[in-house]
Amino acid sequence: MRIEFEKVTHSYESSNPMSGLGLANVSCTIESGQFTAIVGKTGSGKSTLVKHINALLKPTSGTITVGDHQITPETDNKNLKPLRKKVGMVFQFPESQLFEDTVEKDIMFGPKNFGFTEEQAKEAASKMIEVVGLGPDYLTKSPFDLSGGQMRRVAIAGVLASDPETIILDEPTAGLDPVGRKEIMDLFKAQQSRGKTIILITHNMDDVANYADKLMVMHDSHLVGQGTPKQVFNDQELLNKNYISLPQSAVFAQKLAAKGFTFDQLPITISELTAEIKQQIHGD
Amino acid sequence: MLVTSLTKSISEISGNRDTNLSNDFFLPKGEQMENIISIKDVFYKYPGSDNYAVNGISLDIKANEWISIVGKNGSGKTTLTRLIDGLEECESGTIEIDGVVTDEETIWDARKKIGIVFQNPDHQFVGATVEDDVAFGLENQGMPREQMINAVDNALKMVDMQDFKKRDPQSLSGGQKQRVAIAGVLAIKPQIIIMDESTSMLDPEGRKTVINLIEQLRSEQNLTVISITHDIEETQLSDRIIVLNSGKIVKDTDPADLYNLGPQLTEFGLEEPFTNLVAAGLTDLIDFKGYITEEGLIDKLCELNLKR
Ligand SMILES: Nc1ncnc2c1ncn2[C@@H]1O[C@H](COP(=O)(O)OP(=O)(O)OP(=O)(O)O)[C@@H](O)[C@H]1O
Ligand SMILES: Nc1ncnc2c1ncn2[C@@H]1O[C@H](COP(=O)(O)OP(=O)(O)OP(=O)(O)O)[C@@H](O)[C@H]1O
Ligand SMILES: [Mg+2]
Ligand SMILES: [Mg+2]
Repeated sequence: MRIEFEKVTHSYESSNPMSGLGLANVSCTIESGQFTAIVGKTGSGKSTLVKHINALLKPTSGTITVGDHQITPETDNKNLKPLRKKVGMVFQFPESQLFEDTVEKDIMFGPKNFGFTEEQAKEAASKMIEVVGLGPDYLTKSPFDLSGGQMRRVAIAGVLASDPETIILDEPTAGLDPVGRKEIMDLFKAQQSRGKTIILITHNMDDVANYADKLMVMHDSHLVGQGTPKQVFNDQELLNKNYISLPQSAVFAQKLAAKGFTFDQLPITISELTAEIKQQIHGD
Repeated sequence: MLVTSLTKSISEISGNRDTNLSNDFFLPKGEQMENIISIKDVFYKYPGSDNYAVNGISLDIKANEWISIVGKNGSGKTTLTRLIDGLEECESGTIEIDGVVTDEETIWDARKKIGIVFQNPDHQFVGATVEDDVAFGLENQGMPREQMINAVDNALKMVDMQDFKKRDPQSLSGGQKQRVAIAGVLAIKPQIIIMDESTSMLDPEGRKTVINLIEQLRSEQNLTVISITHDIEETQLSDRIIVLNSGKIVKDTDPADLYNLGPQLTEFGLEEPFTNLVAAGLTDLIDFKGYITEEGLIDKLCELNLKR
């Protein structure tokens, strides 16, 4: 689904001067079927931004268009179900979306809520628990008797189980072990190749470089940059202002550049980096 | 050591560590580096569970050490730290904190020496405002009000959250919550700090700042640091890495030695350091096996570049 933000501003509790602006006049388009990453410092407005896509937050001013749904300051909480069926969201803290007394019921909740039969929901749960790297043994456990990373996996399973068209992931790999992180990122990429739109908030710039088609940079509630990861990581202004951090390959290339190597553009993945190094040393 | 080592190589770090150990060896008895924590044959399983979450762990941690605990999701990292802090009781085995075996009576004193930053900061918050929250631990210590106001301000400044004093901690962003949770623990000046993935939601620069801060406190206040982390860069900077797997310690070593394992690291849910992966992509240029430091790799590549 195509998503469009038009001059969206969000102020938290406008009556309370201590709470600042969450979003300031953000306009952007996320194309259907794209893998978009959102980065930015702590408190820059990333979570606030994505919560507008499934109307968990309403804009103070501006409009969000998600497929054929429109969200405006006047949007009320009635009739949001069709939108939420299409837009699934894994929250930044997984515990905030777990509430049933077994893992199975928890994963089944979304599918049932969006019209799956009991049987279909059960089937989705046993499939998804495997997909996120936990065995069927986990289905009967309480979601609160799990380790942090296991909870995270259950939360992801729960969102994927109802097969939403657009998948929003708010730091979904925080707390996953490195092997798990890669498996889960590959899983999201596979969802994209099935036609899903993926929106990922992350602090891992290597994941951005390896998986995303497009990158958006938030700073102080403003959208300050967007483009392909390659473009954004080579944007001198964003770098000088210290709005972004670089992937490891780019940092390494900068260090080589200080010692006589030359790079027209900073490589952002290991394969780009090693290809450049080989070319320079072989001199072809 | 950790601060400067951001630009230093691992070999230098482990070199330093060896020197410490040998100095220690020549010190007269009684002045040797003491174990601030000593864990012996500890077993624990959660009520109703068939498996031991901590399955026979013995571990000595020296005062002022920085150790990283790593391992797969569910390997027992959090459980081990809850046992150390007496939040769960060992089924068998003993835990000694600063020379005293912990039991129902002694745990209260032991706990005063330990500050834990929990994996989920929401579990940490008790106050209605950020400043109340940070003050909570100090109130418990019986600190006079005047002094407390200063201590709260200082702790919040350390993590750059002084502008958020009056906010409800629940209304903060994920990374802001983690910073406040860290401030709450730093305020009480513990002898031992346990950080359970407490920087997992910070931006890369924020993470480095916090790690540098903890390292600075470690040298100034003789702090012992136990850090549970999935961040490979952080583990590369620590003195010592403990790898847990299914509730057991499967490695207890220094970073260079661990990362020499190469592809075998994935068995423990770990990844290879970036430099190993780059070198593996350049096998037709450089011949190497195991762990290579960033400096080592850059030097090798520059040599080749000059020769061409
Ligand atoms: N419920 C709320 N009430 C008041 N202010 C809020 C609320 N939620 C968020 N904010 C503020 O809005 C700003 C943006 O927060 P947001 O959660 O969008 O940040 P973020 O980019 O997701 O950060 P992080 O990477 O730390 O999760 C922050 O300064 C935050 O404190
Ligand atoms: N409250 C609980 N009740 C029952 N079992 C639990 C509970 N908490 C954790 N466990 C189980 O104990 C084992 C160890 O969990 P622990 O939280 O110590 O893992 P961890 O190494 O911290 O993992 P993570 O990296 O995911 O945080 C896991 O198999 C987990 O499912
Ligand atoms: Mg956030
Ligand atoms: Mg844990």
